[in-house]
Amino acid sequence: MLDIPTNGENVIIEAHDLRKTFIAKRGRGKTEEVEAVRGIDLAVDEGEIFACLGPNGAGKTTTVRMLATFTIPTSGTARVAGFDVVKEAAKVREKIGYVGQAGGVDDNAPGRESLVLAGRIAGMSRKEALARAEELFAAFSLSEIADRPVKTLSGGQKRRFSLAIGLVNRPPLVFLDEPTTGLDPQNRANLWDEIRALRDQGTSVLLTTHYLDEADALCDRLVIVDHGEIVAEGTPEKLKKELAGDVVTLRLDDLDGARKVLAAQPYIKETQVEGDSLRAYLDDGEHGLPTLLRALEAENLAIRSISLDRATLDDVFLKHTGRSLRDAA
Amino acid sequence: MLRHTLLFTGYELGVMRRNLAWPIIGIMQPVLYLLLFAPLLTSITPNGELTEALIVFTPAALVMIALFGSMFAGFGMINETRNGVLERLAVSQAWRPAIILGRVVKDMLMLVLQSLLVLGVAALMGLRISLAAMGLMLLLMAVTGLFAANLSYGLALAVRDENGMSQIVQFFLLPLMLLSGLMLPMSLAPDWMQTVAKFNPLYYAVEAGRALFAGDFSDSDIPIAFGIFLVLGVLALTWSVRSLRKLAG
Repeated sequence: MLDIPTNGENVIIEAHDLRKTFIAKRGRGKTEEVEAVRGIDLAVDEGEIFACLGPNGAGKTTTVRMLATFTIPTSGTARVAGFDVVKEAAKVREKIGYVGQAGGVDDNAPGRESLVLAGRIAGMSRKEALARAEELFAAFSLSEIADRPVKTLSGGQKRRFSLAIGLVNRPPLVFLDEPTTGLDPQNRANLWDEIRALRDQGTSVLLTTHYLDEADALCDRLVIVDHGEIVAEGTPEKLKKELAGDVVTLRLDDLDGARKVLAAQPYIKETQVEGDSLRAYLDDGEHGLPTLLRALEAENLAIRSISLDRATLDDVFLKHTGRSLRDAA
Repeated sequence: MLRHTLLFTGYELGVMRRNLAWPIIGIMQPVLYLLLFAPLLTSITPNGELTEALIVFTPAALVMIALFGSMFAGFGMINETRNGVLERLAVSQAWRPAIILGRVVKDMLMLVLQSLLVLGVAALMGLRISLAAMGLMLLLMAVTGLFAANLSYGLALAVRDENGMSQIVQFFLLPLMLLSGLMLPMSLAPDWMQTVAKFNPLYYAVEAGRALFAGDFSDSDIPIAFGIFLVLGVLALTWSVRSLRKLAG
């Protein structure tokens, strides 16, 4: 079990060894067990944006669905807002907002109708629900399109309605499953701002994403998930610092030879081969690069191309899984 | 529980009100049957009068709306298994059976309204029945709808594929229709068919309707039909709520 440090504030999500095994039908009466989630431990503090980063099929959605009381775990326990997700599911549902990957907005009705219904299900009177809807329309710039059938709206507008519906009961915690998938860069940036605004108002957010930049830009802490397991956990800064600040990517013919040379250099913290390129991690790229070039030259290793970049979460993913997140899906 | 059911019903009625064309097209079929098929039946009635044929055929036309309308009610829900609406509702504070029951109540109301329209057409053609018979017939339609719609939602949630569902519904509709005496009374059928028909719940709905229209309130088919559809309706609701839970895997 991972020992996950938190900031010592109140914990809003606490999961221990969550597992989910699906029985998949494989035709002609045959079944196959698919272990979607294989022992996940999580602790999310109140008021933080927490991300589950991982490739498609890593088990992010299943994890969120278990925490949101949609899917019943095969084993393990989780408490959300102080309540057990299996035994006290009804209490958990009062405390959460859930925005699934598909959005969950009825296409055939105007957004206002969906919002009012959601509010009334959460226990509001018609008047209260209408007022709450108005509030959310203003917050998400939806007032002008609130009475148009949702099917006539753009992807970004629909996504904002999904988010508004998820927030109708003023939940202390919202789950956002791949909130920006399929959005254009402008809409993505706007949605990031809206998610940050949620945190600023004290709402805790757990989101899943397969975008590195999204996890990097948005979240306070994250876990990297692969094949149903957590492979790394921490703040984006801490995870990148563990690795090194900079990365030199080299393309050359003798990858193994070069790797040996570079691994022997004291300022190189780590090397990784990815496809036909070699990645070397070091703290101070600007000053290390000339030394690195001289070392390779001394061994007569011909370089075809070279680049120096800041290390990203993709490098963290590569270090822990041996694959790049771009190739992992 | 009741509050949530009615909230969903109200919402669904709103959606329906914005698309009134579909339910209106839905009753064209039984109305056409009344206009173009009932007159053919006059030759098999004792006195050869249209009003007699209408007593035999109008209940059948009503059951037809239940079959062709409510059995397809679940189609819309297949999309909701994909667009995330059901997923969201399942983790909301909604009482889960209300998600389905709310829609079923809407379908039952629709069915009663459509039945009233068809009865209106039949009345224009010369059908005369008592208010009690009409009230009981509408109630019978409501419980038939309770069963047919719940079954349809259960099927939609279990199959979750429009093509598969339409094949399954079509596969069952024809034998159910022919073996209910919908077109012609089962009393005209050979013995073996009459025996098989006794296992078809719709047979009792049609027979009970005919007994009501003939003013024969003591006919045992009437309580049998109400009993069967209430029990089957509750079973179908249980099944569809279970299927809803299975969405989560």
